[in-house]
Amino acid sequence: MPITTTRRRLLAGSVATLALPAFARAQGAVKPRLTAISQWSAGSDGAAITALGKKFEEKGGVWQHSPVPGFTTEMMNKLRAQIMAGDPPACSQLKGPEIAAWSKIAPTVDLDAVVAAAGYEKVVAPDLAKLHKPGGKWIALPLQIYSTNMLFLSKRAMDKAKADKVPVTWADFNDLAEKMKAGGVASPIANGGTRPDDGQKFEAALAGISPLAYRAAIMNLEKKALEGPEIKAAFAQVRKIADWMDPNVGAQHFSTNLKRFIDGDMGMMIMGGWAQGVLRNAGFKLEDFMIAPGPSDNGKPVFLLNADAFIFWQRKEADLQAGQTLMAQLVMDPAIQTMYSQITGSIPVRTDVDLSGEGWSEGQRTTAKALKEAIGSNQAVLSMAHNMAQENGMTAAMIDVITEYVKNKTIKPEQAATRLAEAVEGAR
Amino acid sequence: MSNAAAIRPGRPALPEWVRRLPEYLMIWVPLLLSAAHLVSFSLWTIWISFTPSTLVPVSGWVGLRNYTAVLASRNWQIAFDNLLLFGSAFVVLSAATGLVLAILLDQRIRGENVLRSIFLYPLAVSFVVTGTVWSWLLNPGLGIQKLVHDLGWTSFKFDWLIDRDMAIWTIVIAAIWQSSGFAMALFLAGLRSVDADIIKAAQIDGAGPVRIYRRIILPSLWPITITVVVIQLQFAISTFDLVRALTNGGPGIATQLPALVVYDLMFQRSLLGRGAAAAVLMLLILLAVLVPYAAWRYVQRRRALHA
Repeated sequence: MPITTTRRRLLAGSVATLALPAFARAQGAVKPRLTAISQWSAGSDGAAITALGKKFEEKGGVWQHSPVPGFTTEMMNKLRAQIMAGDPPACSQLKGPEIAAWSKIAPTVDLDAVVAAAGYEKVVAPDLAKLHKPGGKWIALPLQIYSTNMLFLSKRAMDKAKADKVPVTWADFNDLAEKMKAGGVASPIANGGTRPDDGQKFEAALAGISPLAYRAAIMNLEKKALEGPEIKAAFAQVRKIADWMDPNVGAQHFSTNLKRFIDGDMGMMIMGGWAQGVLRNAGFKLEDFMIAPGPSDNGKPVFLLNADAFIFWQRKEADLQAGQTLMAQLVMDPAIQTMYSQITGSIPVRTDVDLSGEGWSEGQRTTAKALKEAIGSNQAVLSMAHNMAQENGMTAAMIDVITEYVKNKTIKPEQAATRLAEAVEGAR
Repeated sequence: MSNAAAIRPGRPALPEWVRRLPEYLMIWVPLLLSAAHLVSFSLWTIWISFTPSTLVPVSGWVGLRNYTAVLASRNWQIAFDNLLLFGSAFVVLSAATGLVLAILLDQRIRGENVLRSIFLYPLAVSFVVTGTVWSWLLNPGLGIQKLVHDLGWTSFKFDWLIDRDMAIWTIVIAAIWQSSGFAMALFLAGLRSVDADIIKAAQIDGAGPVRIYRRIILPSLWPITITVVVIQLQFAISTFDLVRALTNGGPGIATQLPALVVYDLMFQRSLLGRGAAAAVLMLLILLAVLVPYAAWRYVQRRRALHA
């Protein structure tokens, strides 16, 4: 039984590292070592994982991180090659339903004992926890959370619209956009033109209209929900958003237009929490924009979850196993999560971290508060556009329909809804 | 080699195969390696295309299911239509541009070398750079349209990049910019190799320059034209980085091309089997171009032998 062996070894390892790391090393026990791959090589992401590595080394470990710059899929190609060669890293970045899919092609580490020892399960959003324990056992650990449907408001555009109230529902949002347009804001919606950008507009619309319909249609792929009226309403809302966007965005990245957003030439942006870090890095001041939860028709915040995570691959080497235990403990540690999120601009996975102190921004506090409320009202759902709700193949099939709809104004919302249902059938 | 032997007569001559060993190594090793790579990986891809592979290659047999799925997908259908349009427009227009440039350069003008380098220069730029630069130039809010607006002509409109129906033409424009210099170089070599005596004879007979080009020079360029067309066609079929940088298949999925679909299926959607099927379909399209070309070359050579 390889699983039990691993669990026992892990337990032994965890006890050793937890209780008496220095003593254990003196006894000739192995020095924990971790081989890890991720896409985080530069910017705040690179800085954050380097800081995590430093902590790992402070605890006496050997940190061997090989970043694969570029898209997540490029990191996956390296992971695939290593798994096929029978030499997986001890730990790698992976997220969402991909964790379940990839865990079928190579054996993973059972983390139940370490997770239980840390009492981690109680402080993680239930939908998120489920993703990291396919088959009932923890094999991966979430590291940080972003919401993909935060609403960013340009202060100057608000002044032009003579508005000061943050929109709560989609109706408020549409009113404000009209006011902005009338007040001389060239494009009330700031946006990029990439596939995830378009996907985000749709998921924000649908989840804001009805989190229940979002859960049924997008997360559970229920046929009836996919053909329901909420999907058509969401597409209709997306059309409004698309009409308020600058038609010239083409395939640009959302960050291209941030200056126009701050200048009040563009008004609102529905984007992930990471945009706050991008704005800050680009030298814009926090008082030039506001951050609020995305529009929600029932007035309670809807949180579209995107979480980065580490998955742990089975290794026979004792030092790597010890390294995996140490890494797992670090990732769950509130102090480490605080350090990490303060660098990247995300919020911690743990819902019990206090964000009132220094080092946190107002945007992060708003996001964390929204998450807490959304979990309370069962309105924390998984992001489709960022590969949290479905595997890559299904997500891509959905986004094909959405991105075509955003760019082709002759497609009717009803047609788009039919195409979405068909695309889901085809990708099943 | 014989010179070297003559200079140092005391040294025994090496056997023929030893002396030629560097040549053999230079030619055969890379040739065999690349052929083995090409053939083995093509066969591997063909095999994968019949398996249910997703994240990693697995054995198993699903028959033509991957092929029917790819052929039925909107992405592939759009990509295939785009390939027909892009392929023919790009090949014809880049060959025509190259030919015109070559004829103009052939007028024994001053500064020919400089001009030739300028026209060939885009070829030295990577496709990603070409795509990125053109994505700025063609963006209505940043590039040409904005420039003309700023100059005062505010009703000017050039927004193909964001127009679903016209976006494919932006790729044609960028591709022509990149590679018409290459067609020009080949045509120029062809123009220069036309027998000067024939041209002289035509001039003596009173033929004007237009007539000389039409009746003597252009017909002799026929074989080069075919070469240009085939080389450009295989480039068109495998176009990837240019589109990725310029439109990334957008707006929406309006400028999908087969190579993008293959990459997307294999590495974005983790559907190795379907991606392999799309890759094999691309190979078949390439063969549809290359096999007739090879047959044509074969016939030409035989004719030349018998003549």
